[in-house]
Amino acid sequence: MARVRIIPVLLLDRGGLYKTVRFDKPRYVGDPVNTVKIFNEKEADELVVLDFRATLENRSPDFAKMSEIAGEAFMPMAYGGGIRSLDDARRVFDSGYEKVVLNSILYKDRGLVRQIADVFGSQSVVASIDVRKNWLGRVRAFGRSGTADSGMSPLEWARILEDCGAGEVMLTSIGRDGTWEGYDLPLIAEVAHAIGIPLIACGGASGPDDFRRAVEAGASAVAAGSCFVYQKKGMGVLISFCTGLKINREDA
Amino acid sequence: MDNIADPDIRFGAQGVCQYLQEYRQKEAASLLRGEAAEAALERTVDRIRREGRGKRYDCVMGLSGGVDSTYVALLARRHGLRPLAVHFDNGWNSELSVMNIENIIGRLGIDLHTYVVDWEEFRDLQLAYLRASVVDIEAITDHAIACVLIRLAGQMGIPYILSGSNVQTESTMPRSWVFPKADPVNIRAIHKAYGQRPLKTFPLFDARVRYYYTEYKGIHSVSLLNLVDYEKKAVKETIHRELAWRDYGGKHYESIWTRFYQGYILPAKFHIDKRKPHLSDLVFAGQISREEALAELAQPIYDPAQYQEDRTFVLKKLRLTEQAFDEIMSLPPRSHYAFDHDRPLEERLPFLTPVKRVVRWFFPFRNRHTEDTDA
Amino acid sequence: MITIVNYGLGNLASIQNMCRRLGIEACISADRDVIAASERLILPGVGHFRKGMENLRESGLKDLLDELVGVRHRPILGICLGAQLMTAHSEEGDVDGLGWVDAVTVGFDAARLGGRKVPHMGWADISIADAADPLWKDLPQEPRFYFVHAYHFRFSIPEEVAATAVHGYDFACAFRKGNIHGVQFHPEKSHKFGMRVLSNFANC
Repeated sequence: MARVRIIPVLLLDRGGLYKTVRFDKPRYVGDPVNTVKIFNEKEADELVVLDFRATLENRSPDFAKMSEIAGEAFMPMAYGGGIRSLDDARRVFDSGYEKVVLNSILYKDRGLVRQIADVFGSQSVVASIDVRKNWLGRVRAFGRSGTADSGMSPLEWARILEDCGAGEVMLTSIGRDGTWEGYDLPLIAEVAHAIGIPLIACGGASGPDDFRRAVEAGASAVAAGSCFVYQKKGMGVLISFCTGLKINREDA
Repeated sequence: MDNIADPDIRFGAQGVCQYLQEYRQKEAASLLRGEAAEAALERTVDRIRREGRGKRYDCVMGLSGGVDSTYVALLARRHGLRPLAVHFDNGWNSELSVMNIENIIGRLGIDLHTYVVDWEEFRDLQLAYLRASVVDIEAITDHAIACVLIRLAGQMGIPYILSGSNVQTESTMPRSWVFPKADPVNIRAIHKAYGQRPLKTFPLFDARVRYYYTEYKGIHSVSLLNLVDYEKKAVKETIHRELAWRDYGGKHYESIWTRFYQGYILPAKFHIDKRKPHLSDLVFAGQISREEALAELAQPIYDPAQYQEDRTFVLKKLRLTEQAFDEIMSLPPRSHYAFDHDRPLEERLPFLTPVKRVVRWFFPFRNRHTEDTDA
Repeated sequence: MITIVNYGLGNLASIQNMCRRLGIEACISADRDVIAASERLILPGVGHFRKGMENLRESGLKDLLDELVGVRHRPILGICLGAQLMTAHSEEGDVDGLGWVDAVTVGFDAARLGGRKVPHMGWADISIADAADPLWKDLPQEPRFYFVHAYHFRFSIPEEVAATAVHGYDFACAFRKGNIHGVQFHPEKSHKFGMRVLSNFANC
């Protein structure tokens, strides 16, 4: 019986960590090197580091900073933000990360998944899908930090990316990001049951109860930002982790 | 105590140094015992509760995760106060300190406000102090914490700051080992000389402005720890039992930087062992015997494995090569006073002295028993 | 001195990083002389079995390792693909391995997975089968490690199996044959548990 992975998500921008609400209003949270050191000592299962403005600002990943950060972690690390080529991916792996997280680039070049998977294995590619309602009220997959409507439903897009060889899908509800109101369970259930690869739920978690609900809905792993970085909703920065929490999944 | 690193130490009759005398004086002035203490404590918390009625918080307090502030939090809650805990995050928190803080605020039901310093700015400032080769590198953190607490109290209309300072474990400190923490002029001067990034967001408070601000806003600092029997060993046991607090192995060791600074930089470069004044206080207070203190001093100040790990981490965060750091360590120490520092108005602009006299005549300082938040 | 053998596959830097944190001297090298001179070896690996064997052959490292490990009994720890390469054969690519242990590498049996996904990815608890294995000395309670693999070892005899894990069914996840150790999981990514294993390997 596999334990469900519980994954803190860290948002990086120009060397500092931030946290957003609905992908907006970034607030400074601190130095990434010390933060990862703390998560490491708290035995976090895995960490995802996302340079959340890289694509919007047309920047390449800061490989030096990434190495510094990865050096403090003795658990699997995934990095996303501004990866545009196989070469970028190779450099990410060389910097000490096990997985690359691809988002906006895939709307332009979904073949990149296959390219990377063929050399480094499917398990090294995480397809990240950000979801929100467009102006017509329809639920869609959005690129470029929630600003570019892809025209596709998250379900449709997830299936395509699975076919392209992605190892996992990370599904983020933009509307719930940073709200502490719980995951978008219907969305998770819909996508998880339609794909064969693992799904990481993200966006809105307030704690272990939300993690359990997401797993019941079909998630193979759960990710969270705010609840690991703030004492509680509306309060100060305090790094925490549910060390030792065991959520089991029958068919994980 | 000895006179190797301390040029100011004086030995009186029977070889008793002036620190003991100073301790006795502070003890007499600030420390209360027994019933007098209990009564004073009751009066104090009562006043705080009364003035805080109807507000969300009746006081603010700094929370570092160290013994002192942890015990203040416990006392505050025991007496029904509703503090807003303020943590100052300068990027050097150990996991243990963060865990301790989580337990403290969780078990006591306290809200936390965190001030996260911009790391790159803080790093630049630390490097500036290292290159300036001055002794009190912690002055920047201490100054900033006080600034944050006062500003927050002012903004939120909270009249009381609960301080963790206490006579029994913190009164003795050789003057040459530290620099006045309320002085922002020195910080700016050292930064100007050796800093490379602009100092934009770092909390700084002009000492005079700060004084008028606290007067105007009616902010008082209160040392609860001087109103109780602050016996270190018993206190540690209590917070461990009630708050699951775990020891760091040294005073202020909750910060990785402070651990390295006190455990390596101070002894190796300045020949200063800060355990001496801390242990002296405990001896003066009668909490441990001189023999026990000497036995503890005989232990290495820094566990060698921890030192190696910390050294690697500190150099990594500060982005210093081994060579660059060794060079800094071999620079001769310089006095803070070699840089600009806060001076009374009449020293800076002597022609204003008569003006100041006139102003003072019209607006005399009220006779307040000021307890500074900087220890 | 431990040498982490560089044959072109594997997260060598992560292993070295953990060794450094533990105060263990470890270098990464593909150089025959350096490898031959080291006290212990680590054979890492992430990727395809066929590519792994090709790289080992083409670089000439296969022969060197056969000699050092088989004849001179140098202690060696295989990690993930590195451990799989030590088996006789793999279904991944239908390729022969180094054959140092009496086992083969097979894909997960879909029939017995009960709907579970492949690759097996994530943290899993392990069951110690050989308590005498020095790698498990002082291992923290409820040991768990990070796994990411689609193939696993299958041993003919239980004597060489040091630990098992479960993914749909029990499978061998660690083995030991004299100086030869192999683990399916990634100690360099399993924080305190992995640190103990690497530390034990460095001192056994």
